[in-house]
Amino acid sequence: MQERTGVTKFSGNPMTLIGPEIKVGDKAPDFKVVDNDLQPVTLDDFKGKTKIICTVPSLDTPVCDTEIRRFNQEAVNLSPDVVVLTVSMDLPFAQKRWCAGAGIERVKTLSDYQELSFAANYGVLIKELKLLSRSIFVVDTEDVIRYVQHVPEVTDEPDYSAVLAAVTSDIPTKEVPGDGFCGAY
Amino acid sequence: MQERSGVTRFNGNPVTLIGPDLTIGYKAPDFRVVDNDLQLVTLDDFKGQTKIICTVPSLDTPVCDAEIRRFNQEAVVFKSDIVVLAISMDLPFAQKRWCSGAGIEGVKTLSDYQELSFAAAYGVLIKELKLLSRSIFVIDTEDVVRYIQHVSEITDEPDYSAALAALICISKQNQCPARMPAGRIYLGP
Repeated sequence: MQERTGVTKFSGNPMTLIGPEIKVGDKAPDFKVVDNDLQPVTLDDFKGKTKIICTVPSLDTPVCDTEIRRFNQEAVNLSPDVVVLTVSMDLPFAQKRWCAGAGIERVKTLSDYQELSFAANYGVLIKELKLLSRSIFVVDTEDVIRYVQHVPEVTDEPDYSAVLAAVTSDIPTKEVPGDGFCGAY
Repeated sequence: MQERSGVTRFNGNPVTLIGPDLTIGYKAPDFRVVDNDLQLVTLDDFKGQTKIICTVPSLDTPVCDAEIRRFNQEAVVFKSDIVVLAISMDLPFAQKRWCSGAGIEGVKTLSDYQELSFAAAYGVLIKELKLLSRSIFVIDTEDVVRYIQHVSEITDEPDYSAALAALICISKQNQCPARMPAGRIYLGP
C-alpha cells in the first residue's frame, strides 16, 4: 500500500498517510463502513446525492467535536440532496453516544474500525496512530470527487467556508481557499 | 489464525473467536495495547503484580459499563500489588472520557484498536464484529495464567464472585477451591 509523507502533522510531528492521493476529478473509491447500529454502509447507499465526507481522528476530542457540530449547523442551510458524513475510527457505540449528546441529526456518523476501508481507499490512514487524518472530500451526484481538503495540522480545524463554497456553487470555476480545488477537471 | 466456535454468543447468535484457547497453568502471552494517552503498554509493565484482565466489547454499552464500575468498587480493597485492567476496542479518547465520567480510578483502561494484539493472543477477538468478547483472565506474579472465564452470552455480566474469589486466593497464594462456579482455575504446581 502506498505511503505518503508531507501531507499532514499531528501536534507538530510529521505523519505518514497510507493509501493513494485522491485528486479532484477522480472517480470516488468505494468504501465499506458501519453505522451506529453496526450495519454496513457503502458509497452506493448515497447514490444520486452530493456527499460531504469529513474524516476525523476521534469525535471524543475537542477539535473534531467542534468541527462536526459546525457542519451540523451549516448543513441545515444545504439542500436535502446534500448528505454530510463523518468517518472515524470511533466505535459505533461511541458515535451513537456522541450524536445523542451533541444533538447531531444532519450529520451521519460512520465507523471505519472494522476494515479501515475508507481510510485506505481515500489515503487518510495515519500510519503512526491508526487513526484517520482530518480531511474533507466533496463527492458529486455522479460519484466524482469535486473537492479535497487535507488539513495540514490534524489538531487544527478545517477551512469550512471553502468546503461550503465547493458544495453550493453548481459549477465552480476558480480555486477556493485551502488545499482544495474546485472545477479543476 | 485459529478460529473457535461454541464459546460465546452475541444476543443469542453464535459468534466465532479468533486466536488460541489459552490453557490455565501456562505462561501468559505478551500483548501490545495503548493507554488513554496513546502510550504503549505491554505485559511487562505489570511485572511482579497479580493481574485481573477484563475484556469487553465496548465501554460505551451498558453491560460493560456496569461490569467495570463493579470491578472498580471491588478494586478499592485490593492491595497495590493487584492491578485491574479493562481492554476493549474503544479508542483511547473514549476510554479517557468514560473513566473521568464514571469516576474510575481503580481500573486501568487499555485500547487494543491499533494492533488487535491482546485480542488475537488471548483468543477473544469476535470475527463477525471485530470486537473483544467478554472474558476475564487472572495472571499471577510469575505471569502464569491462573484463571479464565469466558462469558457465554456477551450481553450478560460475568460471574463476579467467581472471578474475585479466584483473584483473592491466587494473589494471597492461599488454597484455591478446586472447582469454581464459573471459569477454569489452575491450582498451582
